[in-house]
Amino acid sequence: MSADLIVDPQIRFWVFLPIVVITFLVGILRHYASILLSSQKKVEMQQLADSQLLLRARALRENSGYIPKNSFLMRKQAFNKEDGYLMQKRPPVTQNMMTDPSMMTDMLKGNLTNVLPMIIIGGWINWVFSGFITTKVPFPLTLRFKPMLQRGIELSHLDASWVSSASWYFLNVFGLRSIYTLVLGENNAADQSRQMQEQMQMTGAASGMPADPKVPFKAEWEALEIMEHQSKLFDAEDVLQE
Amino acid sequence: MSSLKENMEKLKLYREHNIRYSREITQVWNETISSNIDNLGKEKHIILEQVCIAAIDCYQLKIAEKCIHELYKEFPNSSRIRILESMYHEADENFNRALQILNDIVKKDITNSAARKRKIAICKALGRNTEAIKELVEYLKIFMADVEAWQELSELYISEHEYSKAAFCVEELILHNPHNHLLHQRYADIRYSQGGMENIELARTYYNQSYKLNPKNIRALYGSYLTTTALLNSQKVSGKKKDAAVKVVDWCLKEIKKRYSEVKVSEIEESLSALEI
Repeated sequence: MSADLIVDPQIRFWVFLPIVVITFLVGILRHYASILLSSQKKVEMQQLADSQLLLRARALRENSGYIPKNSFLMRKQAFNKEDGYLMQKRPPVTQNMMTDPSMMTDMLKGNLTNVLPMIIIGGWINWVFSGFITTKVPFPLTLRFKPMLQRGIELSHLDASWVSSASWYFLNVFGLRSIYTLVLGENNAADQSRQMQEQMQMTGAASGMPADPKVPFKAEWEALEIMEHQSKLFDAEDVLQE
Repeated sequence: MSSLKENMEKLKLYREHNIRYSREITQVWNETISSNIDNLGKEKHIILEQVCIAAIDCYQLKIAEKCIHELYKEFPNSSRIRILESMYHEADENFNRALQILNDIVKKDITNSAARKRKIAICKALGRNTEAIKELVEYLKIFMADVEAWQELSELYISEHEYSKAAFCVEELILHNPHNHLLHQRYADIRYSQGGMENIELARTYYNQSYKLNPKNIRALYGSYLTTTALLNSQKVSGKKKDAAVKVVDWCLKEIKKRYSEVKVSEIEESLSALEI
């Protein structure tokens, strides 16, 4: 039975803890590397205007009940008429994505800081620390978890709650995220001086704008088109005397 | 004299809550920070910016100049600091120089909203309201979801007595922030100022809405009293509606009287004297 299984304490010092430390340090390194490599993102004027337009359309759709009906219809018309805001013709953006060199370097940098270390460190850990049982989760698990928790150990009789070294590495990669925010969030020295150099960019929706505005525009247009104005204001007569 | 650390905490608090205690900030600067610029650590630049703006507020141009100088040492090409520099010139009433800097920034980076806003502020400071409105409309064509800009535009329109346009702007504000009773009240104010039966009816609805959102809003209460009275005085109101309206008027008056009886006269005088600057 797996309950009798006793893991060598040496494994704790030479496998379990090193994996935690290595993944943690690699995460820190990656953070600073990405700061070094990050380039300032140029925001395209058109893109910015588009995302703001979408924000405004969404606000109109969500809170139209708070403005008079006439005002709502006026705005709906402005957004949805033949050549309204949401029907503007836009040149397709997606095509030049691959040819745009700045896009390519951005992608390369993203790969360099995220995917590559993941592969290299993962492979290295797999090579150095393979074949150990490192720890046990304190609850019973079904057999389906075996490939997830016992990567690198093919034992059909081993209880599923034991965790192998390779899987321990992956658990760390995903589980340390909140610790990074704790550690790196505290000293935002790098962050702050970086912010200084950045212009005050629009955050939030503006940066997360998808490349092709046509799709969200169309969706927003449709949603607005089928909308009926429904007043959410309180009834004038009975409001005061409650 | 409080310690540097305490003062830094204080400044951080002001920053986080967006409090514009410019006088206090410059005082803090004079007391401790000016002699300790290099001991500020990570917050150095953000504090310098804060102090700079506060100093410009208080017309302490020497301090502002020093801050800008320090910041330029670190970030010679930052447009954020160039904006500070333009604000410095603005405070010095050297508007042409300020405008020149801002135009440069906008030319280099057309998406820089802060510089555009400063330009509009300069127009306003010079009293060229129509020009400011024009610029602001251009700005809003790009930055459509900028709530502050809509608010500014509505105020500019009000100062030009263009009430229907101002109402449009306030509607936009309500769309973005539908639970703010002050916006509803402002909208009602504008509609009431416009006059005409339809607008007064609308104003009444919005005063009620505002009152409902915040029952402490006495202006909204008084507004609904005024609008309902105006409705009563018009010819078109039918009998049944009239009765209800009379009731509302009575209730409003009673409520307002009750509110005022709750506070002492001295308190009211105090808050009134606070209004007189």
